[in-house]
Amino acid sequence: MAALALGFRRSLALSARAFLTVAPKAAASSISNNHLHTKQWNGPQTSSLLVSKQLKVQLLQNYSSKPISIDDLQERVLTLLRAFDKVTAEKLTVDSHFINDLGLDSLDHVEIIMAIEDEFGFEIPDGDAERLAKPADIIRYVADREDIYE
Amino acid sequence: MSALRSEILTLYKSLLKEGRKFSNYNFRMYALRRVKDNFRENISETNPKKIEEFLSFGKQNLESLKRQVIVGNLYKMDDLVIEKKTL
Repeated sequence: MAALALGFRRSLALSARAFLTVAPKAAASSISNNHLHTKQWNGPQTSSLLVSKQLKVQLLQNYSSKPISIDDLQERVLTLLRAFDKVTAEKLTVDSHFINDLGLDSLDHVEIIMAIEDEFGFEIPDGDAERLAKPADIIRYVADREDIYE
Repeated sequence: MSALRSEILTLYKSLLKEGRKFSNYNFRMYALRRVKDNFRENISETNPKKIEEFLSFGKQNLESLKRQVIVGNLYKMDDLVIEKKTL
C-alpha cells in the first residue's frame, strides 16, 4: 500500500517535472503568465508533494471545466428555448412536444437543434436530431454526451 | 417521403450554417433571412415535381453561397455599430 502511494507520488512528481520543462516556453509568450509561473513554480527544490499539489490546482484551473449538475443543464436548455421567439414561454415544460404541443414546424426544430449545438459546443448528427422531440430528450442527450448523471 | 424530408431539413441546416459564416453583417442577415423565408414560403408544397425542383435550386444555391462566403470574407469590413459588443 505504502509502496503504491510512493509510486503514485513519484509519477506525479515526474509529470510535474515534465510540465516544468514546458512551462518556460508558455511563460515566454506572455508577461503576466511569466509572473504567475515564477510565483507558483519556485523550482525543483520544492518537495514533490508540494509540487504535485500545485500541479493539481493548475490543472483544475486550466484544463477542466467545472462539471455542471443536471438541474443547471435543464435550466440552460429551458432558458435557451424560452428565448426562441416562436416558443410560448408559458406553455413550455420539459415534456412539451415541440411540434404537437408548442406548434412548431420541422424547420423550427432544425433551428432549435442548431441553437443547442451552439450552446453546448458540439455537433448533433441529423439522425440523432430527429429523435429529440422534447426538451427532456435534449437534456438527456446532452447529459449523456457530457457524462452528467443524476 | 421520409428520405426526401430529411434531405430537405439537412439542406436547410447546411444553408443556415453556411450563411452564418459571412463576416459582413448585411450579407449574413440577408442570407439567413432569405433561406428562412424561402423554405417557409413553400412549406406546404405537396407536388413532388415542384419539391424536387426546389431541392435542386437549394443545392445549387448552397454551392454559390459557399463561394460567396469565401469571396465576401476576403473583403472584410469593420463591424457595424449595431453589432459592437457592449464595452
